[in-house]
Amino acid sequence: MTVLLRTEQLSCRFDGLVAVGVVDLSVQAGDVHGLIGPNGAGKTTFLNLISGHTRPTGGTIYFNGNDLGAMPPERRAAAGIRRTFQNLRLFREMTAIENVMVGLHANTQSEIFQSLIRTGRQKQEEREIAERAREALDFVGLLGSADAIAGSLPYGHQRLLEIARAFVAKPKLILADEPAAGLNGAEASRLVGLIRRIQAAGVTVMLVEHHIQVVMRACDRITVLNYGKKLADGSPADIRDHSGVIEAYLGTKPIYTRSERRETPEARHAAP
Amino acid sequence: MKSAAVRVFVLGAFVAVPFIETNSYWLHIFGVALIGAILALGLQLLIGMAGLLSLGQGAFYGIGAYVSAVLTLHFGVPFPIAFFFAGVVAALSSLLLVPIVKLQGSSLAVATLGFNIIIYLVLLNEDWATGGSYGLLNVPLPRIFGYELTTERDMYFFCLFVAALVYLALDRLVNSRFGRALKAISQDEDAARACGISINRYKSKCFLVAAFTAGIAGSLYAHHARYLNPNDFTFTKSIEILIMVVVGGLGSLPGAVIGAIVIVLMPEYLRSAGELRLILFGVLVVVLMGFSRGGIAGLAPMLVQRITQYRLPWQAKVSESREMK
Repeated sequence: MTVLLRTEQLSCRFDGLVAVGVVDLSVQAGDVHGLIGPNGAGKTTFLNLISGHTRPTGGTIYFNGNDLGAMPPERRAAAGIRRTFQNLRLFREMTAIENVMVGLHANTQSEIFQSLIRTGRQKQEEREIAERAREALDFVGLLGSADAIAGSLPYGHQRLLEIARAFVAKPKLILADEPAAGLNGAEASRLVGLIRRIQAAGVTVMLVEHHIQVVMRACDRITVLNYGKKLADGSPADIRDHSGVIEAYLGTKPIYTRSERRETPEARHAAP
Repeated sequence: MKSAAVRVFVLGAFVAVPFIETNSYWLHIFGVALIGAILALGLQLLIGMAGLLSLGQGAFYGIGAYVSAVLTLHFGVPFPIAFFFAGVVAALSSLLLVPIVKLQGSSLAVATLGFNIIIYLVLLNEDWATGGSYGLLNVPLPRIFGYELTTERDMYFFCLFVAALVYLALDRLVNSRFGRALKAISQDEDAARACGISINRYKSKCFLVAAFTAGIAGSLYAHHARYLNPNDFTFTKSIEILIMVVVGGLGSLPGAVIGAIVIVLMPEYLRSAGELRLILFGVLVVVLMGFSRGGIAGLAPMLVQRITQYRLPWQAKVSESREMK
């Protein structure tokens, strides 16, 4: 197994607030790697650091063995890092297929001149872009909505469209920021299947997610963040049994004596 | 191809105009309207597609006009070459805006407005080249491959030819990788970057294309009006172009053409109202914008929707009460 993504002492502070504080993390090529943690644990900031949308205040990110340094997001996208956003960032007034076609921007060349003259190569490229976009829409199950305006699609479909836009270029790594947010049970289960199919297509996935069933079923490895620090790292089974993780999510288990339990507010409400 | 048929029909209608209206004054005005259409098309790419609110198009228009006039008048350069250079120089001067393309919304509008004011002052004060406030007189008639465009009808046809070419070019651009990138940027910059689009580079390219378009429109104007004065290229011109685009309909190329024609012709047709004509013009613009945010281009679909979805008062109540349940 080779390491696709590695962070070394990665940190990010906003004024006094430490969003990500000194995180070492490795993602194996070909894995679905989960990143979980309570609200405010720094998961989204971590993704932003990798996609280049936020600048780190310290540390290094190695992608495929190369230091990403201060490379801007558009060049990271060209290098094979694609992402989806937590709050749906589609090109809302464009059609679904156009959204996906934009996803191929970094993989195509035609510029102003070629488009004006409509050279043979430009026409060929446009046909290929449309064809690949259709394949990606079909892959996520949205081929039927290809010509619908993105903003008018149902919420679950918009989530899938964002995944298609990230997947169409067959990148090395997709950073998925809460793709299951707002999905119902059936949709979430289909999402697990989709993530597995993306993995089967040779794309490594880094999944930030709150939906714990999705995480447990989709991931090969999971990293838990808490207060910007790495709390645990391991297989889903390891994480499920990790006492620190349960504590971070639920707090420590209070130990009541018999008489105290009767005094808790819940107990008073329960028994009138 | 339905849209191809529509295009041929519209082009045919434009070609027929000089055979119906032969009065040379009106043909001159129609020529001006077509030049306005070219200007509006260029700005439509900036505002309607890339979401860049620029108030500097009047400056590129002026640069194109003066470059073309000075080259033909003082250096005896043939018109087709001067025409081409007008576009090129205007486009190159747009590179001065590269440092400010990252500005958003109203900041960009004010910065480009400042650029227009600077260009106006250059045109006004560099008398050695531009003739200063006296302007440039007797700009030669365009001569294309030995044929001089002497009549207003000739000039109208030439303007129509250029306008049609610009329309076709921009239509191709809008539906290409370049156009999709611009639309993506206007809708979500972060997502566009995540797709590999270099924002500032594409915005600069967009300014370049729009400036070239305005530059060749300027060249046409110089040889159409045959007299140039810096006052034709103040920021008021930029605002006039903006009105054309917004009245015509943001984001629509046919809208830009319609907007330009309406904005140029309406004051002419209102001439019979005498002193009131500009007030009437202003009122009409306000009413139109209040009625349809999509401009004239958005008017037809809106009316169709109003008519097809029209409900009588009691029908409306039924559907409301259903929603309540």
